[in-house]
Amino acid sequence: MEARRLEVKVFLERPTTVDLESLVPVFHDWIREGRLDEPMIDVADYRHVPNGPGVVLIGHRSNYYLDQAEGRPGLLYSRKRQAPGDPDERLLDVFRRALFACRLLEAEPALGGRLRFRTNELLFQIPDRLGYPNSPAVFDSIRPELEAFVSRLYAGSVSLTRRGSAREKLGVAIRAGRAPSLDVLLGRLGASPLAA
Amino acid sequence: MSPAPTEKEQLASRIPAQLAREIDIYETELELKKQGKLDERVFAETRLRRGAYGQRYDNGQRHDGVETRQIEYPEPRLTKGPNTLWDAPGMQRIKIPFGRLTAEQLELLADLAEEYSDSILHVTTRQDIQLHYVHIEDTPDLMRRLAAVGITTREACGNAVRNVTACPTAGVCAGETFDVTPYAHALAWFLLGHPDTQAMGRKFKITFSGCSDEPCGLTSFHDLGAIAATRMIDVRVERGFELYVGGGLGSVPQAAKLFDEFVPETELLPLAQAICRVFARLGEKNNRSRARMKFLVKKLGIDEFRRLVREERAGLEPDPRWTAFLADLGATDEHPLRPGSRLPPAQRSTAFERFRQTNVKRQRQSGYVTVKLTLPLGDFTPAQARAVADVMRRFTGDTLRTTVDQNLLLRWVSEGDLPELFSALEGVGLAEAGADTIADVTSCPGTDTCKLGISSSRGLAGELRRHLALADTELAEPARELRIKCSGCFNACGQHHAADIGFLGVSRNVGGRRVPHFQLVIGGQWKHNAGSFGLAIGAIPSKNVPEAVQRITRRYVAARQDDESFRDFVTRIGRKEIRAMIEDLTRVPPYEVDPSYYSDFGDPREYTIGDMGVGECAGEVVGFAEFGLAASEREVFEAQVLLDQGDPRNASSRAYSAMLQAAQALARRQNDSVGDDPDEIVQEFKKQLYDTKLFHDPYAGGKFAHYLFKAHREGPNGVSHESTHQLIEEAQLFVEAAHQCYERLSRGAGG
Repeated sequence: MEARRLEVKVFLERPTTVDLESLVPVFHDWIREGRLDEPMIDVADYRHVPNGPGVVLIGHRSNYYLDQAEGRPGLLYSRKRQAPGDPDERLLDVFRRALFACRLLEAEPALGGRLRFRTNELLFQIPDRLGYPNSPAVFDSIRPELEAFVSRLYAGSVSLTRRGSAREKLGVAIRAGRAPSLDVLLGRLGASPLAA
Repeated sequence: MSPAPTEKEQLASRIPAQLAREIDIYETELELKKQGKLDERVFAETRLRRGAYGQRYDNGQRHDGVETRQIEYPEPRLTKGPNTLWDAPGMQRIKIPFGRLTAEQLELLADLAEEYSDSILHVTTRQDIQLHYVHIEDTPDLMRRLAAVGITTREACGNAVRNVTACPTAGVCAGETFDVTPYAHALAWFLLGHPDTQAMGRKFKITFSGCSDEPCGLTSFHDLGAIAATRMIDVRVERGFELYVGGGLGSVPQAAKLFDEFVPETELLPLAQAICRVFARLGEKNNRSRARMKFLVKKLGIDEFRRLVREERAGLEPDPRWTAFLADLGATDEHPLRPGSRLPPAQRSTAFERFRQTNVKRQRQSGYVTVKLTLPLGDFTPAQARAVADVMRRFTGDTLRTTVDQNLLLRWVSEGDLPELFSALEGVGLAEAGADTIADVTSCPGTDTCKLGISSSRGLAGELRRHLALADTELAEPARELRIKCSGCFNACGQHHAADIGFLGVSRNVGGRRVPHFQLVIGGQWKHNAGSFGLAIGAIPSKNVPEAVQRITRRYVAARQDDESFRDFVTRIGRKEIRAMIEDLTRVPPYEVDPSYYSDFGDPREYTIGDMGVGECAGEVVGFAEFGLAASEREVFEAQVLLDQGDPRNASSRAYSAMLQAAQALARRQNDSVGDDPDEIVQEFKKQLYDTKLFHDPYAGGKFAHYLFKAHREGPNGVSHESTHQLIEEAQLFVEAAHQCYERLSRGAGG
């Protein structure tokens, strides 16, 4: 898989607990305190748009959305630039950063532990219609590599299903039989629980 | 296995050769700039002419609420223009001539927003689409993909002919003289890249209106505004345009002047070309702040300008394109998908009825309606865009129009389809009622993404939307019909001058901290193509603006006489009375009492620099300066009141005096021996603040100081209402700039 723009979405356990307004100062704090090991630029507030990108922490390499798409809120990590050259490293990097941001949000004092992420379902996306259109053939072409990676992540079998129509970005729903904690998943990716 | 084709290769067959070549050249220029082989300023103008604009923080610095820090971009030395880092994300403006989009184009825009931007499409106040946070290296592919569906970003920014706008109801409006669409289309493509439009000193904005009464075209504040007109030649109806020139908003709004009551359709293109040539030849090139065509028209006078244009026109080499489009004016016609029908009587939901009341209007064509989709702050998502594309294919003839009030307009909807259409829109959050009401607030990007933004116009607009939507059922009809528009700075992209209630972002220094404010500008006119502009009442801290709006609207509803318009109401009770209504709201509580005033809407960072210190000595000087600045502000207001009372002579004296007050306040801060003699004040101001560039704004430079110098040189004239109005506007801007200068000086002293 040569794709450079990759996304992972981790859904919230209980969508009703999300208070997007409280995310705005949290993301500003993350920039000030350098909580992520990459250049972050600003916070964009799109709460006014129904089922939209919500509140976005904008970075140079990546964006972090508290995304509301399809009415299913979750942390959407979007890698835009400077992805690692090696395909396996690229997958590792994108999943690690997504899960790490979830872990930070769960531990965020200002949110009072209200945000909890479900780990038995992830959404993987490639926002690159010219290189990776949403078709069964393209899905089949990326499946082995992705399946091998997430099987290692979950230490067991997972199901992968293509999502969306041909005009939408390529999406793959990843479902696991178990829901390991974020710390366990991060540990399997070689990241300590609260350090990227 | 052969390597996958690049995006460029995949799109090659779908892009017209000329457009493909232009984008290839642009991509080469990007590469040359990266290699340091292209001049900084040349490259900046190159990318601007491709619509690739700078964005806030693109100098690599950001204040995080505590201190200003560097953003650690990987290539800190590589730039894409003066003080603009290569890696800093930018805004991509996409021209949508007269706002018309097909379903295919809308879907492509949705894809681009997801792949290169932050998953938001933004409709501007000039019918463009903007994407934010786009990396410069993604722009060539983005442009190729647009070109493949017939969209160009060429000349979307820079000193060029910008997007040609037009009434979104052109062709379906019951009140129009005729459909201006084919004329807007022809002129937009004729002037695009035309050699005669490549050497202008500033941007050039064109609009078309189907009639003179409705607000749609807003011809009053365009460089070139064309209003459809007809005349009888024997028994034949001849089409043409009432042509206006030299209008503009910005820091000094100027109503366009009538160039010709009737320009025949055959003369529209050549005359526009001649106007561009005169502007390019004689317009200001060095001083950006005086370079718009409104200054040229003013300098020459409309009669001389007209003479020069006619002379230019007479010498033009004939071009077959001038009239070729007239042979097929129906080429831009839109055709309905379904037969027209009437909505059968039935019991329907309150939400539907409310939507129908505010967002649906009958077309000229029987059985068809237009449906406006209100977009909060002009934003919508890729998923919504795709849903709208589906709606277009299912219910209309495949097209829609973006509007200058930052909404989308569906046309050719068969009225009987409304319940089904409403249901489809409701499913994607696009069935919000309140189009064209007070809750449908317009805003420029402001501090969210614009480098020039002073206060959060989007934050304010969002707050007002929430307040007014909640109060919807309580608001009486006349108040609901008012229009609110917000700009983040004096450049007026939110078009606040033409609103009943407009807001312009400013800031004030309170106790050593900066507080976001908005100037209240009241009594502008949106109808009659933005027939008149409002005047400033005073600066209100951002957090008090919703309360100010509530007071003003309630007073209007309570005190309105018969069918009195808001503008007439404002004129009757007087700006002084309106100022008195909000006087208490202009005060800012100390930080220790209520720190919320010291942050802007939607942004928890402290708006001012928290560690600003004021020593005792500086404190005394600051005390005098603050006093002087406050006095100057008061004098500007009094000048406005005097003008309202029909006393331009005293009004102009007061405006001039306000400028002197502000200049003296600043000059004394630097040299406390400055006396009260006007010559001494101006001389000392020039020496201490202008020559040293201390007064210079990072973006506007010393522009506002020239207002003082001019007023001092010419003296308060007071000869006409118009010239006094302008002097007051200039005084307002000078005083505002003095406030900003004082803040910069205080920061320097405190830091």
